[in-house]
Amino acid sequence: MKGVLALCLLLPVAAVAEGVNASRAQFNYQMSCQGCHAPDGSGANSVPRMKDQVGMFLNTREGRDYLVRVPGSAVSALGDAELAEVLNWIVAEFAGDSLTVAFEPYTGQEVGLLRQQPLNEVVHYRAQLITEIVSANLGDQKE
Amino acid sequence: MKLLDKVFEQKSRQLAQHSSRRGLLKTLGGRLVGAGAIPLLPVARASAADSPARPAEQGDPASCDYWRYCAIDGFLCSCCGGSENTCPPGTEMSPVTWIGTCRNPADGRNYVISYNDCCGKSSCGACLCQRDEGDRPPYRPDKTNDINWCLGTSSATYHCSTAIVVGVAFEDQ
Repeated sequence: MKGVLALCLLLPVAAVAEGVNASRAQFNYQMSCQGCHAPDGSGANSVPRMKDQVGMFLNTREGRDYLVRVPGSAVSALGDAELAEVLNWIVAEFAGDSLTVAFEPYTGQEVGLLRQQPLNEVVHYRAQLITEIVSANLGDQKE
Repeated sequence: MKLLDKVFEQKSRQLAQHSSRRGLLKTLGGRLVGAGAIPLLPVARASAADSPARPAEQGDPASCDYWRYCAIDGFLCSCCGGSENTCPPGTEMSPVTWIGTCRNPADGRNYVISYNDCCGKSSCGACLCQRDEGDRPPYRPDKTNDINWCLGTSSATYHCSTAIVVGVAFEDQ
């Protein structure tokens, strides 16, 4: 019983990625993302849903880069380190079962380079990425 | 009749012999204590941590100088049949919204305020309030209150604005 209790106490800590200040990350999410993506990442109408879906993009290099190059990230008012932290927080909070690969947290340096190539056309690019990721996953299952 | 009597007597004796008289007290007591302990579990505390602490309040939510309206630009729902947290009947709250921070004079802390618009009826027209602190030009679209935020609702007709506390601002220690 004690073991179970100890495990329960550890859970909220384990849910947040290493090196993320959850209070700061959540505040920055609220100020820069939540207005459109909603408090739980569920999105609205044309605003893409992140909850239980965002982890899918981490299956490919292009998908991982996309989460930084998408305008909401790339041109946000957040600094590189803060943006990396928010992205890591988003993956930890919202990805759920959609994250099927080991996640290497974003670094400020990586984010700083990627956001210099923001995407101009997002909708078509996103759809194309998803098609590639889905077909790659189907290929994995067949093997 | 005698048969019925006998059957009931037998059944009650069986019940008395096979059940403990304190069983009910034990079950009931266990459930009472158990239910009381649920808020002590980390799960309950974690979900409570997500919802911001209810801030100490002062001022009139139907007045433009109320602290939460520091960045508002619109009609106050408190004057339109709703409140600072809720939409008037017959309108729909926009899930897409603009967010800012306001300092609460009651405790001196900054809170994250979500200015969700209520949509679906023509402009309320009462208590126009424009304070605009932190408002940015439209080239920073997520930080401007000049656009119609009735997005994600079935109707894009603006009626009034709420000012909901969604968190406490992060401040470096």
